[in-house]
Amino acid sequence: MKRWRYTPMADLDQTMVERLRNFPREPDMLVYGLRALVALIIRGLLGTYHRFEVVGAENLRNERSFVLVANHSSHLDTVCLLAALPFRKVQRAFPAAAADYFFRSVPRTWIASIGVNALPFSRSVHVRHSMTICGQLLANPGNVLIIFPEGTRSTTGATQEFKSGIGALLAGRDVNVLPCYLDGAFHAWPKGQSLPRPRKVRLIVGPPRNYATRAADKASISAIASELRDAIEQLGQRHDIRRTLDEDLGRPEAVLSFVESGEADG
Amino acid sequence: MSPKAALHDPVFLAYVRVVFVTLAIAGAILGLLHLVWKKQIAAIWQTYRGWLVMAPLALAVIFAGRVPFIVGVTLLAIFGFKEFARASGLYRDWWMTGAVYAGIVTVGIASVMPQPQGEEPGPGWYAFFVAVPVFAIALILVIPILRNRFRGELQRMSLGIVGFVYVGWMFGHLGFLANAVHAYGYLCYVIFATEVNDVAAFTFGRIFGRHPLRSEISPKKTWEGALGAIAVSMILPWLLRFSLPEFGPTQLILAGLIVGIGGQLGDLSISVIKRDIGTKDMGQSIPGHGGILDRIDSLIYVAPLFMHMTGYYYPLR
Repeated sequence: MKRWRYTPMADLDQTMVERLRNFPREPDMLVYGLRALVALIIRGLLGTYHRFEVVGAENLRNERSFVLVANHSSHLDTVCLLAALPFRKVQRAFPAAAADYFFRSVPRTWIASIGVNALPFSRSVHVRHSMTICGQLLANPGNVLIIFPEGTRSTTGATQEFKSGIGALLAGRDVNVLPCYLDGAFHAWPKGQSLPRPRKVRLIVGPPRNYATRAADKASISAIASELRDAIEQLGQRHDIRRTLDEDLGRPEAVLSFVESGEADG
Repeated sequence: MSPKAALHDPVFLAYVRVVFVTLAIAGAILGLLHLVWKKQIAAIWQTYRGWLVMAPLALAVIFAGRVPFIVGVTLLAIFGFKEFARASGLYRDWWMTGAVYAGIVTVGIASVMPQPQGEEPGPGWYAFFVAVPVFAIALILVIPILRNRFRGELQRMSLGIVGFVYVGWMFGHLGFLANAVHAYGYLCYVIFATEVNDVAAFTFGRIFGRHPLRSEISPKKTWEGALGAIAVSMILPWLLRFSLPEFGPTQLILAGLIVGIGGQLGDLSISVIKRDIGTKDMGQSIPGHGGILDRIDSLIYVAPLFMHMTGYYYPLR
């Protein structure tokens, strides 16, 4: 009789939290179920509480693996980008999250790994290892990697300089990258505030870019990073113009709130 | 079973005292070993701390009533099977895992719901409860047909059936016992005696252990430990007679043998599975104890044997 071959899960001897800190993580039905539930709740909340709107969603419908890069000013950014993707991508979208912030304490590990399927990215040590993991992820089809190249949330709402790591990841790799501009997230939930305010949040998804033909030397890597930043800034500026036009036309709710506050002062 | 009934049930209240006194005595002995005789007991201390959490938790679930207890048993069975599936690799097959989960939930439902028609002596649908394996195995056999594939399916079906019958259904008997007239007595006796039997086997083995019981399967278990545990388990029913009101001498001896021998067999059978797979523990969910399956393995054997022995002599419900 032929012997059976067992293939135990690789994380068998680890505790629940240790398993969640791994990447790639072994698939777990309970975690997948909870994550789908969280995604539904987040989509509902964003739609009602933040009147979340996506411009250019057609760019996101792609079966090849791609990278989303965006400006980062709020914890809302990650959930907005996830909510913009088709629902079946919930288990295949991986926001790169700072390992030293999101994967240290147990509750944050739960939120990051179960809630948003985060990829633990070390900002200081093991950077190269984290980059290799990102590369492997993109080599398989159907994955979405979400990266905020600023490295941390902006405290002013203005986009900071992009770290060159994003360039190193994209240079010479035939992977599309979609620059995205998030508008309103900073006002809704800035860094340091404990809960979000009910402000409108809008996501503008730009057309895909590809850096497969670019060399991976230092100059071109930082050029890619600044090109991406410019692309995002442009998306934002174009969008800002439209918003200014809206405001010139005079939105009734803006007028109303002005009148109300005036009365309260009197 | 309900919180109100538990508060007025002398048997349940007696067991609350028994459990806490036992934990206190065990703690005192461990403290003496450490402070007076300067023994290294760090590992045992961690196991003891696990008991300090699990024992009150088990009492709380029994206190909460019949349905919460059955739900608790069902959840333990689901997570126990998950450990088995993760260790054997069956967990990669979500269809088969899902089918076994469905079977385990059905065991829980059969324990809770009343018989749809005809006269039944009490809660729970006994006829369906004992027939659930038919439906669960039928579902497991259908999975490869639905997916139109055969390669490696015999292994998956076998693992699914063993996992369901062993962890889902046999352990599920503990949940069905909650429907008994003397539910508090039976449940408290079965759980308490089985865990005492486990601890006794470990303790006797540690102190007197010389001759390996099953050298190939589990080199740490010894004849001395097993016999010591059986001796303790034979005495225990007489001490805990208040919880088994109808039992005569024959039934008390049987209850002792079921716990004493069944408990060891449960322990050894999980060792066979672990050995063949090549893993040490089934999981790491309980610090100092290993996985859920490592803790409930003896109960898996004892619960059904105790239930059917009792049902043979007395109307269970």
